[in-house]
Amino acid sequence: MKLVNLIAQVDRGKCVGCKTCEKVCPVLAIKVVDGKAEVDVDRCRGCAACEQRCPVYAISMQKRDNPLLVSVDIASVNYDEILKLCSNALLHPEQVVCYCTGTRAEEIAAAILKGAKSPEDISFMTGARTGCKVECIQPILRLLEAAGVKSTPPQGGWQWYGRTVTVWEIPKKVREKHSSRGFYFDEDEKLLDRVRTAPLQGRGVK
Amino acid sequence: MRSPIPPIPPRKSQYGIDPSLVKKRVSELPGMTSVLIKELFPDMPDIIYPTDKGIEAVRKATEEALKHVDMSMIKPEHSVNILASHHGFTLLGGEPYAEMLKTLKDVIQAKTGCKDIRLRAGVGLRFRETEEYIKRYGLDKYFNGKAIGIAPIDEGVPIETEIGTLYGIKRAYDADWIVHAHNSDVREVHFHRQVDRAVKPFGMSYARIETRSTYHQNMGPRAANFVARAIFDSPFVQKKFAFACFLTVAPHGIIGVDADNDLYALNDRITFIGCRYYGKMMTLLGSIDECIVALDFPCPVVYVFAGGVIYANFAGANTDLYDLDSVPLPSYTWYTEAFYGKNGKPLLEDIPPLNPAIKMCIHNYAWVGYPSAFFSEHIPTVVVGREQADLFNRDPQNLNYMKHALIADDLETAMEFAYKVTGTRKVLIFDGAIGGINLSEPLAEYLLKKAPEVNEKVENELLPKWLRQRGVDIRIRDQVGKKYAVSM
Ligand code: SF4
Ligand code: SF4
Repeated sequence: MKLVNLIAQVDRGKCVGCKTCEKVCPVLAIKVVDGKAEVDVDRCRGCAACEQRCPVYAISMQKRDNPLLVSVDIASVNYDEILKLCSNALLHPEQVVCYCTGTRAEEIAAAILKGAKSPEDISFMTGARTGCKVECIQPILRLLEAAGVKSTPPQGGWQWYGRTVTVWEIPKKVREKHSSRGFYFDEDEKLLDRVRTAPLQGRGVK
Repeated sequence: MRSPIPPIPPRKSQYGIDPSLVKKRVSELPGMTSVLIKELFPDMPDIIYPTDKGIEAVRKATEEALKHVDMSMIKPEHSVNILASHHGFTLLGGEPYAEMLKTLKDVIQAKTGCKDIRLRAGVGLRFRETEEYIKRYGLDKYFNGKAIGIAPIDEGVPIETEIGTLYGIKRAYDADWIVHAHNSDVREVHFHRQVDRAVKPFGMSYARIETRSTYHQNMGPRAANFVARAIFDSPFVQKKFAFACFLTVAPHGIIGVDADNDLYALNDRITFIGCRYYGKMMTLLGSIDECIVALDFPCPVVYVFAGGVIYANFAGANTDLYDLDSVPLPSYTWYTEAFYGKNGKPLLEDIPPLNPAIKMCIHNYAWVGYPSAFFSEHIPTVVVGREQADLFNRDPQNLNYMKHALIADDLETAMEFAYKVTGTRKVLIFDGAIGGINLSEPLAEYLLKKAPEVNEKVENELLPKWLRQRGVDIRIRDQVGKKYAVSM
């Protein structure tokens, strides 16, 4: 869940049409049309990625007159399906995957069950990955993969490239070679197993 | 009692309120004093900065350290990327790190004849932060317009590693050679646990979001550091890596510059420094029974400094952050934060709470640009000034911070409230005071009394254990001891 209280605004006089903003927007809300960037006000989730990367400082973040609450209601899907999806992704349904918005795995799972087909759809529906824009891409990709959704990165964009390794997948020989240097692979795998199978605190509750 | 040390001044930045809005510093309040780190721990090594020799001492130390480094692989027609990180610029005002970077450029050019030397400076979660530093320290000019900030959402490059494909920032690696220019300050011990500290930027400030998310979400709190090692060991990086040059730092100042073609050798040396010197400060601060914390530094909430220790680490100082065996999850790290369920309690019973010694947090001055709501949610927090509250409400990473915090009109009111509600007079100020800690008199007395026993415990009991857990031979003590003199 996110209260979107900001919106990107382009200074058309400054914009040079370089498309950087287009390549970094996590919800595909900004596009260069006829050489100038344009923001889709209904899509923008106020993350400021474009504002932070525009090479000519053509974008500023403005307060929205009417802030927008975006969330996927977990009660609108079967919670058993959420449990299954999170379990396949090796995540606890209540674990927080987006620290900035406090979005939990169950809400991402619900978004997927409601038809999200990509990280961009998920960010648009839940607001996750529109805070720091950095830390939550992997659990999102893991949940999509667990649901059997084959997502491809936006063409020509830099939004994301691919899912990476998890601790469960670290090869034995890597563990053996490096564990004496303070890398606790086996122990952390056990720890994350305990977390993902821990009891729920509020099944189906918002 | 000593008078307080002048704190690091507020800094103009898009991530903080305007310096003119910081009306009063916490150290200016009645009853505040300071202790020097050397008073607490007389066996801390001598510093090269700040001293009366000025910034020139950093240049000299860098030149000296680089004398022993092989640069013969760099040919005059080659290009070199000096890779830097934002964090270095937060140390002692940032000038020493900037000076080391400038010296690096000069020495590489003089030794190799190479002229195409660029600065690529990575960031944390404030994507324009190093742009600000590049301007502030004139690095764009110094590098002939070839100094840029790079961010984790910039174009990526796939890197094949022994644990599969990870991703770096393309522009970090768009040269024939890379030089890893970092520092030994421990900063986020809660994340890296002093495991491969020297290698970490390869998985962080030089890395794309996919890699950073792998570190913080896919691996677990003590396996995560391997992400950086996997990237560094990859053929792609090894082919480009020339050498590393580090500003070496202790809680009271810059103690030298260390450079090496072998990053792992350098890593062992800074592991020792980190465990020994910062381990003492953290153990000492962890012994505090109760206090009010005051944030007063130009950095995000988690990164404000007191005695070289950041607030995020003090918030976890009720556990031994260096102990890899007994503390799988510190009180604060992103894994811990992630593992709080819907009723506001940890999902596992053995997850420790945030440091219960912190009775209240007075947020006089700290920046946005790092998700910090976990702190205001679990530690009673009073933010000084509506402008600062507004800034947090406009930060996409902190939309929930003010939901849990109160606002005070001015610092005096906030402190009065804190004294009344908590009943303690112990105040620890995170204001980056150089060479010591600003704090209230009762806390100064407490720390001065505790320090000798902490010193002994770390030297004899904890340090050997910490090094053993990291596979670092304790005999490195002699090697490092020779490098850094101690005047008692
Ligand atoms: S990044 Fe800036 S200059 Fe480039 S297209 Fe977008 S608004 Fe225009
Ligand atoms: S969602 Fe973010 S990147 Fe996209 S237009 Fe809005 S502020 Fe810019």
